[in-house]
Amino acid sequence: MKAAIPEIDEEKCTGCGDCVTRCPTGAVELVGGKVAIVRPDACSYCAECEALCPSHAIQCPFEIVLKPES
Amino acid sequence: MPLQVNLRSIPYFAGLGDEEIRRIESGLVERSFAKGEILFVEGEPCQGLYLVKSGQVSIFKSSPEGREQVLFIARQGESFNDVPVLDGGPNPASAAAIEPSTVYIIPGETLLSLVADCPAAMAIIKPLAARLRHLTIMVEDLSFRRVVSRLAKLLLEMAVVEGGPAPIRRLTQDEMAARVGSVRDVIGRALKNLEKEGAIKIEGQRIAVVSPEKLRQML
Repeated sequence: MKAAIPEIDEEKCTGCGDCVTRCPTGAVELVGGKVAIVRPDACSYCAECEALCPSHAIQCPFEIVLKPES
Repeated sequence: MPLQVNLRSIPYFAGLGDEEIRRIESGLVERSFAKGEILFVEGEPCQGLYLVKSGQVSIFKSSPEGREQVLFIARQGESFNDVPVLDGGPNPASAAAIEPSTVYIIPGETLLSLVADCPAAMAIIKPLAARLRHLTIMVEDLSFRRVVSRLAKLLLEMAVVEGGPAPIRRLTQDEMAARVGSVRDVIGRALKNLEKEGAIKIEGQRIAVVSPEKLRQML
């Protein structure tokens, strides 16, 4: 399964770059003044970027699944 | 039967004609309770709509440990236990007399007969009653459960089997916080605690409920 990456709303992104400097795995960069996940394999889906984005342009939704372990 | 409570002073019955008022009065049951006596208990089948003839009645939720959260105090002329009459479910809360009190009980079918010939009214009332019942449960959760317990309840409610008929629900940590009346940082820590306890596994963008039983134990 392909690893998920944060969802970005480019309309809301102001290009402040906070997420670029704070991403612990260096997965995020600004491309054309907007945030982009340029190294998706590096993204650990820690949701730090979602927490710190001042314009709420990044979302990290979690799928909630039932997977009982016997 | 002479009533000390004028039924038309109660908003429900303010616009009724003499015949309808007589119909309600003929079905009334009067009961008296000593101070501290329980009128009914949450979860029991509904006996009807209650009107306070005299005294005061506390409507409250109880935690398993015995803590109480008062929802409201019904005073002379006021009604309570409206929700189960309207949605047909069990009593959503308990009631106790906080001073010697006398109440009238109006059977649910009598009340419903007043709107039976108006499907539009019932179509509005039923969802409203369901919403009110939901809010009552929310009061209980916010009053009695810790954040980790509320989050455990949310995950149990949301989790579905992958590939099953129900669509998989997706929530951000901010959305989880809003659902359980908390903030994002607390939710982040609570999720880690649930994972440490072996109730869930966080796998990338997925929260897998691996032990529903452990989540239930936290409720």
